[in-house]
Amino acid sequence: MLKARPFLIEAITAVGLLLAPFILPHLGFAPNTVNRILVWGLFGIGFDILFGFTGLLSFGQSAFYGTGGFFAAYLLTRAGFPYVIPALLLGMVVAAVVGYLVGLIALRRTGIYFAMITVAIAEVFYFVEFNPLADWTGGENGLPGVPTPTLNLGFTTLNFDTGWSLYQFLAVCYFIGIVLALRIVRSPVGAIFRAIRENPLRATTIGHNIHGYKLAAFVIAAAYAGFAGGCLGVMQAFMPPDAFMFETSGQLIMQSAIGGIGTLFGPLLGAAVWLFLQDFLQAALGLGAAWKLVLGLVFVLLVCFLRRGIIGGIEDLYHYLTGKRTASEPEESSPQLVDEVKVHAPRVPAKVVQMPHRQPEGGKGGPILQASGLTRRFGGLVANNNIDFTVEQGALHGIIGPNGAGKSTFFKMLTCELPPSSGKIVFEGRDITGMTVTNVCQLGLTKSYQVNQLFNRLTVRENVTVAALAALRGRFKLDLFRNMRKMPELNALVEQTLELVNLTGRVDTPVSDLAYGEKRRLEIGLALASSPRLLLLDEPLAGMSPRERVETVALLKSISAGRTMVVIDHDMDSLFELVSKVTVLQEGQVLVEGTPDEIKSNEKVQEAYLGGMRGVFE
Amino acid sequence: MSLLEVAGLNTFYGDSHILFDVSMHVERNEVVALLGRNGAGKSTTLKSLMGVVTPRSGSVKFDGTEIAGRKSHAIALAGMQLVHEDRRIFGSLNVEENLVLASLSASEKWPLERIYETFPRLKERRTSRGTDLSGGEQQMLAIARALIRSPKLILLDEPFEGLAPIIVRDLLAVCKKLAADGQTIVIVEQNIAAALSISNRTYILNNGHVVFDGTPQDLKAKPEILHRYLGV
Amino acid sequence: MINWANFVSQLFNGLALGALLALISSGLTIIYGTLGVLNLAHGAMFMLGGYAGYVAFTYTDSFVVAVIAGSLFVMIVGILMERTVIRHFYDRPDEDQLLVTFGIGIVFVELVRLIFSSDSKLVPPPPALQGVTPLGFMFYPTYRLAVVGIVAVALIALFFVLYRSRLGMIVRAGIEDAIMVSSLGINVHRVFMIVFGIGAMAAGFAGIINAPVVSLTPGIGDDILVETFVVVVIGGVGSFPGAVLGGLIAGEIISITSMFNPSYAYVMLFAVMTLVLVLRPHGLLGAKGRE
Repeated sequence: MLKARPFLIEAITAVGLLLAPFILPHLGFAPNTVNRILVWGLFGIGFDILFGFTGLLSFGQSAFYGTGGFFAAYLLTRAGFPYVIPALLLGMVVAAVVGYLVGLIALRRTGIYFAMITVAIAEVFYFVEFNPLADWTGGENGLPGVPTPTLNLGFTTLNFDTGWSLYQFLAVCYFIGIVLALRIVRSPVGAIFRAIRENPLRATTIGHNIHGYKLAAFVIAAAYAGFAGGCLGVMQAFMPPDAFMFETSGQLIMQSAIGGIGTLFGPLLGAAVWLFLQDFLQAALGLGAAWKLVLGLVFVLLVCFLRRGIIGGIEDLYHYLTGKRTASEPEESSPQLVDEVKVHAPRVPAKVVQMPHRQPEGGKGGPILQASGLTRRFGGLVANNNIDFTVEQGALHGIIGPNGAGKSTFFKMLTCELPPSSGKIVFEGRDITGMTVTNVCQLGLTKSYQVNQLFNRLTVRENVTVAALAALRGRFKLDLFRNMRKMPELNALVEQTLELVNLTGRVDTPVSDLAYGEKRRLEIGLALASSPRLLLLDEPLAGMSPRERVETVALLKSISAGRTMVVIDHDMDSLFELVSKVTVLQEGQVLVEGTPDEIKSNEKVQEAYLGGMRGVFE
Repeated sequence: MSLLEVAGLNTFYGDSHILFDVSMHVERNEVVALLGRNGAGKSTTLKSLMGVVTPRSGSVKFDGTEIAGRKSHAIALAGMQLVHEDRRIFGSLNVEENLVLASLSASEKWPLERIYETFPRLKERRTSRGTDLSGGEQQMLAIARALIRSPKLILLDEPFEGLAPIIVRDLLAVCKKLAADGQTIVIVEQNIAAALSISNRTYILNNGHVVFDGTPQDLKAKPEILHRYLGV
Repeated sequence: MINWANFVSQLFNGLALGALLALISSGLTIIYGTLGVLNLAHGAMFMLGGYAGYVAFTYTDSFVVAVIAGSLFVMIVGILMERTVIRHFYDRPDEDQLLVTFGIGIVFVELVRLIFSSDSKLVPPPPALQGVTPLGFMFYPTYRLAVVGIVAVALIALFFVLYRSRLGMIVRAGIEDAIMVSSLGINVHRVFMIVFGIGAMAAGFAGIINAPVVSLTPGIGDDILVETFVVVVIGGVGSFPGAVLGGLIAGEIISITSMFNPSYAYVMLFAVMTLVLVLRPHGLLGAKGRE
C-alpha cells in the first residue's frame, strides 16, 4: 500500500485532513477528540517505524513522550520561554537525545529481552518524573498553564486556540510527520529497517551495521514521541504526569495493533477507533467502566486472528475481492520453461560492473586469500586444526570432506562469522583476522548460505536491493530522505544481479511465494549483489533435484567471470565439473589438494571416504 | 509382515526436496545399514521415520500400523527409538536421571541393572552430569536411553562419529551383542567398515534416492558401486 | 548517623520483598525457560491470586482457605490460558506472543476492576500472626516476618518439585531440549501446560500471601511485573537460582535505597540492571541465551 504512486498517499492524507472538520462532527467526533486522535497518531508514527518496520517492540515509548512533553511544557511555563513551536521542537530534540542514550543500553539485547528492558525503562522514567524531579515536573500535579501556539506571519498573527483552530495546527504537524515518515520508509534506510525486521543475521552479513540502524530507528521513534508529548501539553493547556505512565505505552501499542502495524496510519486509525469506542461504549451503551475491558478483548482477538489490524484486514479483503492473481506459479510449469531456456544459453552480462570502492587494494599479483594455521576449538573439541589454505585470483576452488571434517566451521572463520582460536587470514594482502563479518563483506568477501537466509516478506527486488545498498553505501549511512528511485547506480546493480541469477521474471514476487530453486538462486543473488571479489558458496546444490543441479552448475559457471569462488559441496560429480582445484578436509585438517582428477585417483582420499574398506573385503 | 515397511517417502526441509520416493523394509531381528555420502539423506530418513521431521508424502508402516505423519512421542510409544546424530544428552541431568526419564513412558522397560551390565562405564558414572561426560560416554548414554525403553526398533544415526577407534570397537561389540540377542537395528554410518561388519542388509542413498539394496556380500562382488556412491 | 533499628527493619523488609520477588520471578522464568514465552500477564496473575483469596476469605473467614483458593484459582487460569491461547503462539514470532499476553493481562485487570471496583480490598493476616514481634532493640510486624518464612517454604517446595521430582526432571529436560523429551515418548504439550500452571500458581500464591501487607487494588500487579523483569534480567533468564538470587538482590536494593531516599529506589534498581547488562549480558546466573 505504501508502494503506491509517489505523492498519492500524501495527497490523500492532505485531502483527508482538510475534509475532516466538515465530516467528522457528523459522525459524533468533538474537535477535542479529533485533536487527541491526531496527537496519538503522531506519537504512533514513530512507534510504527520502530516496531512495524524495524521489528523492535518497545514498551517504553511513554518515557520519550513524557520527556519531550515536559521539557517543552517546562520551557513554556516555569521558564517563561515565549515561543511555542520552537519549544516543541526543543522538546523533540531532548527526547531524541534521551532516546539515543537509552537506546545504547536497551539495544544491547534483542527480542524478548529488549521488550523487557523497555518495560523497565518506562517505569523508571515514571518514577523519576514523579519524585526526584518533581520540582521540574510538578510531580503528581503536572505542569498547568501551557500556552497554545501562535504564528506571527508579519502581516497577521495566527492564534491556534482550542477546538478546530488548534486542529489546524495539529493537522499540519501530523501531515509533516507523515510526509517525513513516508520519505524515511521509502529511503535506503527504510529498506534496511525492513531487512532487519525480516532477518537481522543476513542484514549483518551482507554488510550493514544493523546496530547503528536500530539505534537510528529508536531515536526516530523517540523524536516523534517527544514532539507528540509537547503537543499533548499544548492541547490540554496542561502537561499531565500520566504521559509517563506505562499505561500510555500500552495504549499506544494496542491502538497501533488495532489500526494496523507497519502501515504508518495504523496508530491514527487505532486511536480513532479507541477514542470513539471509549465514548460510544460509555455513553451510548452505558457500559461505564467496562469500555476498557471491551477494548482489551478486541485487542486480544485482533492479535490472535487479524494480525495486521484493521488496515491489514481491509487490504486482505481488497485482494480477495479483486481476485488478485497470486504471485506463485505451480512448481512444475513456469520455472521449467524459464530454466530450460537458461540451460541452453547461460547468461553472461555485457560488462561486469566493478564498483569504484571495491577495487582491490595492494598488489594485483599474489593469491586473493591466504589462511595460515587456522584453528578453531569448541571446548575440548578441535573442529579445525592448523589449516593452511590459499586461493588464487580468479580461481574456482572446491572444498570437500567427509562428515565431521569441519568445512562449515572453516567457512565461518573465513567470513569472520566465527573468530579463529588461532591462526591468520589475509585477504588481498590485508590481515582480516578478528574483523567483523560486516566489515569483511564490505571489503569484498562474502558467502551464500546452505540454508536460505532471505528476507522472507520482501520481494525478490527488495531482497537484492538491500544487499546492493550495502555495496553502494558502505556499512552505515543515514540517508533518511533519499529517494531510492533516483539512484541509477542502485537500479543498475539490482537489474544486473537479477539477470545474472535469472530472476528478472519474478522481481515483484515475495520470497514466500518462490519455488525452491528460485529461492536458491536468490540466495546466491544476495551474495552477488554485495559485489564480492571472493565469493564463498556453502553447499549451493543442497536439496536439489538432478535437473536443478545441472542448471545451478551452469549458473555458477556464468557468474564466475571476474570473480574468485570457493565452493563447498557433497555432490562430487557436479562439483568436479565446476572447479579447477580441490582441497580435501578430514577431521579438521587438510588431507590433500589437487585437481579433480588427482583427487579422484588419490588413495588417501578414497580411504577417508570409504573408511577402512580395505579391511572389510580382505 | 515386516517390522518396518517404507513406501514412496518424500521429505522436504521447507522447499528443499531431500528424499525422493524412498522405499525400504526392515525385518525383525535384522540389522540394516543405511549408507551414503553427506547430504544423501540418511539422517533425514531416520528423522522422517521417527516423526522428528514430517514427510510430505509416502507411507511408513511400523508393526502393521501406519505411522507416517504422526508426532514423535506417539511413535516412541509405538516402540521405535532414534539415537540422534548429536546424541542430545540432557546436560543438566545426571546419567541415571537421563535413563529414568527415558524409561518413564515405556510400557516395557529394561531394568537399570541390565543397562549397567551392558555399559559398565555408565554405572561408574551414574551420578555424573551429562555435560561432564566424554564423547564416548555420551554416546553410550544415548544408546542406553533408547534401549531402556525396550524398543522394537532402534535407529542409530552415526553412532561412531568423532569417537576414538578403541571406543568404536567397544560400541561395535555392544551392537553385535544386541543384534545377536535379537534387537532390530537400522544403522546410518560413514564408517562403512563398521556398519557392514554388523549388518545383514544394506541400502545406499544418493542425493535422496535409494540406489542400492542388497547384502554386504553383494557389495563385495561389485566394489565399483561403493566407489561410485560413497567414494570420490 | 544511621538509625540502626531503621536499618535492620529495612533489611527485613528487603528480605520479605526479595523473597516475594524471588518466588514470582521463579514462576516467570521457568515459563520462559521451558516454553519460550514471556508472560506479560504475570503481574495480573499476582493480582488475581490476591483477589481470589479475598473472595474465599469473605466467604470462609479462613486465611488458609484463602491462600489455597488463590493459588489454585490462578493455576487453573494459567492452564486454561495455555490451552486456549498460548499454545497457538509457539510458532508465531516472539513479538506476537508478547502482545497477546500483554492484552490478556489488561483483560484480567479490567475484569477485576469491573467486578470489584478500584477500591482497595483488605485481607487481614491470620489472628495468630497479627501484631508485632519484639526483635531485641525493635518491634517488627509479625506477619511480615511470617511472609519471609512462608515464601521460603514455597521456594523450597518449588525447588523440590524442580530438582527432586519426576515432573521437575521432565521440566528441566524440557527447558534444555523439548524435542528430545518428545522423542522419549513424553507429550511435551502436556508438560508445557503444567509448567504454565505452576508458574502462574507461584504468582498467585505470592499475590494472596502479600495481600495482608498491602491493600489489594486492580493495579498492584503492574509494579510487580516491572520488578520481576528486572529480577529476571539480573538473575538470568530461565534460571531458577538466578531468579532467587536476583529477587533477593532487588528486594534489598529497593529497601535500602528507600531508607535514604524512597524516590531513588527504582533508579538504583535500574542502574544495577544496566550494570549487569553491560558486564554480564546473560545475567548473573544465566546460561545459554534463549534468543
